[in-house]
Amino acid sequence: MTRWGMAIDTDRCTGCGACVVACHAENNIQTVGEQEARNGRAMHWLRIERHYEGSFPDVKVRFTPVLCQHCAAAPCEPVCPVYATYRTPEGLNAMVYSRCIGTRYCANNCPYTVRVFNWHDGEWPEPLERQLNPDVSVRPAGVMEKCTFCVQRIQDAQDIAKDDDREVQDGEVKTACAQSCPARAIVFGDLEDLDSRVTQLARSERASQLLEDLGTHPSVFYLRGGE
Amino acid sequence: MKEEALVRPLSGFRPWLIVGTLVTGAIAGLLFFSWGYQIKNDIGVAGINRPVFWGFYITNFVFWIGISHAGTLISAILRVTSAEWRRPVTRCAEAITVFALSIGGLFPLIHLGRPWLFWFMIPLPNHRGLWPNFRSPLVWDMMAIGTYLTGSVLYLLLPLLPDMAILRDRALAETPQSPRARLFRLLAMGWRGTTQQWHSLEAGIKVMAVVIIPVAVSVHTIVSWDFSMTLQPMWHSTIFGPYFVVGAIYSGIAVLMLAMYLLRRGLGLQEYLSDKVFNNLGLLFVSFTIIWAYFTFAEHLTVWYGSEPSEMAVFWERVSGEYAPIFWGMIVVNVVIPLGVLPFPWGRKPLATAIVGLGVLVGMWIERFLIVVGTLRMPHLDFTVGTYQPSWVEMGVLVGSFGMFAMLYFLFVQFAPIVSIWEVREGDHIASSVPASAQSVGDEA
Amino acid sequence: MSQTATWLHAAFDLPADAQSALEQLAEDGVAANDIEVRSSIPLVHEVCPVGLEVHSRVPLMAVAGGLLGGTAAFLLVTLTSLAYPLPTGGMPIVPLPTVGVVTFEGLALGAILCTVATVFYECRLPRLGGRAGPLDHHLAAGSIIVAAKSTDGASEAWAAKATATEVHEVL
Repeated sequence: MTRWGMAIDTDRCTGCGACVVACHAENNIQTVGEQEARNGRAMHWLRIERHYEGSFPDVKVRFTPVLCQHCAAAPCEPVCPVYATYRTPEGLNAMVYSRCIGTRYCANNCPYTVRVFNWHDGEWPEPLERQLNPDVSVRPAGVMEKCTFCVQRIQDAQDIAKDDDREVQDGEVKTACAQSCPARAIVFGDLEDLDSRVTQLARSERASQLLEDLGTHPSVFYLRGGE
Repeated sequence: MKEEALVRPLSGFRPWLIVGTLVTGAIAGLLFFSWGYQIKNDIGVAGINRPVFWGFYITNFVFWIGISHAGTLISAILRVTSAEWRRPVTRCAEAITVFALSIGGLFPLIHLGRPWLFWFMIPLPNHRGLWPNFRSPLVWDMMAIGTYLTGSVLYLLLPLLPDMAILRDRALAETPQSPRARLFRLLAMGWRGTTQQWHSLEAGIKVMAVVIIPVAVSVHTIVSWDFSMTLQPMWHSTIFGPYFVVGAIYSGIAVLMLAMYLLRRGLGLQEYLSDKVFNNLGLLFVSFTIIWAYFTFAEHLTVWYGSEPSEMAVFWERVSGEYAPIFWGMIVVNVVIPLGVLPFPWGRKPLATAIVGLGVLVGMWIERFLIVVGTLRMPHLDFTVGTYQPSWVEMGVLVGSFGMFAMLYFLFVQFAPIVSIWEVREGDHIASSVPASAQSVGDEA
Repeated sequence: MSQTATWLHAAFDLPADAQSALEQLAEDGVAANDIEVRSSIPLVHEVCPVGLEVHSRVPLMAVAGGLLGGTAAFLLVTLTSLAYPLPTGGMPIVPLPTVGVVTFEGLALGAILCTVATVFYECRLPRLGGRAGPLDHHLAAGSIIVAAKSTDGASEAWAAKATATEVHEVL
């Protein structure tokens, strides 16, 4: 059985933001404009958190890309009144846009604050609508969304593998963020596959998870501590 | 008929009542205008954002559902304990409950991102394998508020039957064919006041009073569980259930005191909404001040003592941060002023209790706001700390909701007696048939 | 019965007067079923036709309604959730604590609705198209009306203390 997961090396992350841009492009995420972003309505599925460590003159900046952790015991799931969010058998926390009625309870129960809400309909003035990814829906106003681990790419790779009558290979599925990272800080793969790169990184000494003590059992591992 | 003052608003042409209805109706229109604007222009016209996904609308929801606990406490608990002084108060308290619940029940619809799909929460058999999630506190909300609303409406209507019969019978001699007489005849439903009917009705009211008390407690507990079932700092607290119920009863009594004062002045009901009734309610009021203050202190003490970083962020925001002015203002109007006024006999005069009640109304609204927005602003991962600025749409809905409540009350006062005629009459009868020496006990209560 | 009967309605100001009238009627041998007492406030124990047993099944029906409502809510939540098994990521789909909450509300709703239905049934409400009695406007003022079926030659002494009387052809 597959269990999708991700390992993010914060020692390598330069905070360039290419992953954020790639995610926007891949997943038809709206750009809300400066005013709305200032009001806290930016729609980034993946955000780069900037933390300063140490004090002058030994200050270091650590960049942490935070995205949906696809928790095994996701607190966002039991609170949705209409079952618009659930856990797939392959370990993804899925979002059903057409079922969502916009109570925003799931977002309130996410300790990582990774869920994002469509406050207005998105606008893609001509010719920007040509940039939209046909594999991904465009969400209307009033619907919750978040990182899906590029489920359309997973689906695509699984379809191709099925045609070729084989399993999906490690490295065949690259999420948009992993694909675009110049430092190759983001690694995506199958955590049940003991040989995959992501499993090896997840088991390394440098691996930890965000807010572990809350018991959400996330699928994303953060690596830090090397120099 | 002896109770002319109670019947006066129900007959003839009362210009002030009509003006009042129209003015409050216009304010209520603001609610629907703002809501309609929001439906047309997307939920984004409200001021909510990430991480403050819930703002004024949920604050108002909890606030109005809280106010609806007035009727239950006064009517049901005092009936169950046979407290005679409740008689003039039960009807206006029950009316407050029904109207506050109806308004409160609108807010879960108003705050939805796609309100036209609210019916997804209703279990309707379908071929798509879709079903509501009964584990979600929002679905419990729907069931609890639905039950409480049904119960409160029926609890208001049952004791209304004999009063409607009195009004119907009175109209027989004077104006048998007027529209209002026809309404009374309809609402009396053929009540005749026979021995069997009274026996059944009294049994029914007694049972309803006993059943509606746990329902009311469960309703606001379930509303509080919308918050405490989450993992958010200062929401994930076991004390929320009883805390919210106490706060609800507290705000309910506050609204009742204010409403009773306005009714007393506006309709000339000094004989019924007497100083003694205000005095007794004032004593109940101050006991709830103490209980509310106790719960608030316990909640804040445990958070502060535990010193968990994510909870302390929320705590300091309230106590010394951006929300400090309204937090301490809330403490003043909810604790300091009531404790400084209500323990004294002059503090339990009608005007004094009404003013204190108004302060508590504001204070309890602030408490709901601080709980909802205060926590959401400071999530676990503090990089996404937020701010919240309500938009005119949210303000319009808030103001409009008060207008709607007032309008419903103005309408009610013109079509039903705001003090229960038969219960007051029964009280007089009981008082007059008790020997004079034993009668003084009731007066000192 | 299509036969019309003659009833004598009498309005009394004081409950004591009404009660003594009822005792007089009992002495005259008028059956409890042929007497009706009506008032604007409950006087069930003070003014009651002699020998009339008043019962109410409301408490029993409230309990029955509660059990019915609670069971219905419990079955709704458990059976339907098991019939529409949606993925829940390892968390139980029918957790008893949450089922308990909904069951409690169902119990309360069942009790409330059954109570009100029983009250309406026992009171024979709504009574559409009933005509008002001849002295009903006295009820509004607080009088008690005693109506007794009068046969030819029966004494009307029981209505001696009444403030108003009237004969009516049908109840």
